[in-house]
Amino acid sequence: MEGADLAGKLLSPWLVLVLGLILLPSALGVNLGVSEIYLKVLVKTLQWATIRIEKGGRKESILNSASVGIIERDESPMEKGLSGLRGRDFELSDVFYFSKKGLEAIVEDEVTQRFSSEELVSWNLLTRTNINFHYISLRLTTVWVLGVLVRYCILLPLRVTLAFIGISLLVVGTTLVGQLPDSSLRNRLSELVHLTCCRICVRAFSGTIHYHNKQYRPQKGGICVANHTSPIDVLILTTDGCYTMVGQVHGGLLGIMQRAMVKSCPHVWFERSEMKDRHLVTKRLKEHIADKKKLPILIFPEGTCINNTSVMMFKKGSFEIGGTIHPVAIKYNPQFGDAFWNSSKYSMVSHLLRMMTSWAIVCDVWYLPPMTREEGEDAVQFANRVKSAIAIQGGLTELPWDGGLKRAKVKDTFKEEQQKNYSKMIVGNGSLNAKSD
Amino acid sequence: SSNCGSASCKVGDLEQATSTSPLISSEQIEQLHRRFKQLSGDQPTIRKENFNNVPDLELNPIRSKIVRAFFDNRNLRKGPSGLADEINFEDFLTIMSYFRPIDTTMGEEQVELSRKEKLRFLFHMYDSDSDGRITLEEYRNVVEELLSGNPHIEKESARSIADGAMMEAASVCVGQMEPDQVYEGITFEDFLKIWQGIDIETKMHVRFLNMETIALCH
Repeated sequence: MEGADLAGKLLSPWLVLVLGLILLPSALGVNLGVSEIYLKVLVKTLQWATIRIEKGGRKESILNSASVGIIERDESPMEKGLSGLRGRDFELSDVFYFSKKGLEAIVEDEVTQRFSSEELVSWNLLTRTNINFHYISLRLTTVWVLGVLVRYCILLPLRVTLAFIGISLLVVGTTLVGQLPDSSLRNRLSELVHLTCCRICVRAFSGTIHYHNKQYRPQKGGICVANHTSPIDVLILTTDGCYTMVGQVHGGLLGIMQRAMVKSCPHVWFERSEMKDRHLVTKRLKEHIADKKKLPILIFPEGTCINNTSVMMFKKGSFEIGGTIHPVAIKYNPQFGDAFWNSSKYSMVSHLLRMMTSWAIVCDVWYLPPMTREEGEDAVQFANRVKSAIAIQGGLTELPWDGGLKRAKVKDTFKEEQQKNYSKMIVGNGSLNAKSD
Repeated sequence: SSNCGSASCKVGDLEQATSTSPLISSEQIEQLHRRFKQLSGDQPTIRKENFNNVPDLELNPIRSKIVRAFFDNRNLRKGPSGLADEINFEDFLTIMSYFRPIDTTMGEEQVELSRKEKLRFLFHMYDSDSDGRITLEEYRNVVEELLSGNPHIEKESARSIADGAMMEAASVCVGQMEPDQVYEGITFEDFLKIWQGIDIETKMHVRFLNMETIALCH
């Protein structure tokens, strides 16, 4: 009895605080500026920490940017590397070129490094990023300990509460709105519920998002494509506008949310078996965008999470549907927290918890001008064009590789390309260069 | 060599490794170590299968020969022939040291030694049965691997290319041959003769980025 009493006494001022400072402003779309102050303090602390590390550390350990690379790669094409012209003769030394290329690939391959978190230039006082930084001073360690306390004892409970509230409100709200008859009032209420709950959830990560070029925000009847780093991407985008989501039906909590959301707003959820049938998927999406009153579809054409340093191959399926494509580039600031979901290492829940115990999630979202498929351009070329636009805006590198390589091996057809090119050089297309002695 | 994963072992590992390849900084060794761990899946040793996870390598026509070179006892300086089952980080660095850029400020003797080491690495790649000679069969094998992707080339064409190259090598090494003289194969000395005066320096090295230049740009 007394325990419950005490718990009640502790909890109620806590809840009142949460309600007043966070929930109400979220519903009204008002920003109290608390996050800005928090971030300013955080930035100052991290700058101080960097200076201390630089002073205390060895000269060589200051900068260690793995995204630059550790070796100078020989980017020259095969022809130049072999220093020959078409139809030249086979030489023993050709093996040099290939063995060098092979070793370069072994030491540093640009694909697999995209499937692990980006390395930081300077430590951001999180244990998890502390791979190559050593003990510097007592003051720094104290700050780090303080940081751990703040993050795990103050911020984490707050964030978990918010997330809980946000998700429950979403489920309850959308179910209620779903009871209303189909009308513009219902659509507006549905948007309000979605936006409020998203804002609450974003605050659950202490998220600060900067939207650029809002005039290009995706319009109704279009398709929005973006680069994919984490499940949070959806949250980031839906805070600024409502979208129709596309995806597979899940079980568990996610399934409950999906079923609730679809009651108030026509999201497109596919059963697992339906996902395999590409024509069915394309057909349903085409029907959706044909109705100009429906909200824009949100698609992530990479198909998997990449670590936000590059953009990988865009699958052409989304670009065959037709309609206007609205590209969006999302770039997270890794200093405050790592947003990349490494699905082979962490489950979704542990990933979300890791995000909640980071400092904050800070990101930039750029809306790009709409694009349509041009005459004579096929889906693959169009996909690459959109991918380039997103990569350039977000400051990401562009890779032609398929994100599916996270789990699968390189296709044999791809492998044989290199051999075909080399053998064409030596032999031409079937003709032989006979060596006379 | 160490087989444990604890921090103190790691430091010992690195220190031992630095003594075998002094031209590379400890910073670069740490980075290579991290790459090693990534390839080995956090194990202390790498096996052949671990190289399957490098997509860039899959495109290389002589991929299997390169991977084999990592486990070749002759390259690892562990014996005259045979393949190791697994290699540790020190072995990894030993193989990497064959691709060190030749430092022209070293004495002429050192430069010559470096060159010989690189050519020996290449020789081992061709001489798969470790008998000290590159026979016609072995040569054909390499050419076939390099060319096998082209559907227009039949096996016969690949063979003729190899045969032609072999004849050329024979003429360089043995001079004029009698009509019924059989050329056994290219020995390492012959191999060196073929390469005399030809610059291999620019073709067979992997250069590490200089960390200081990056520091200035930041």
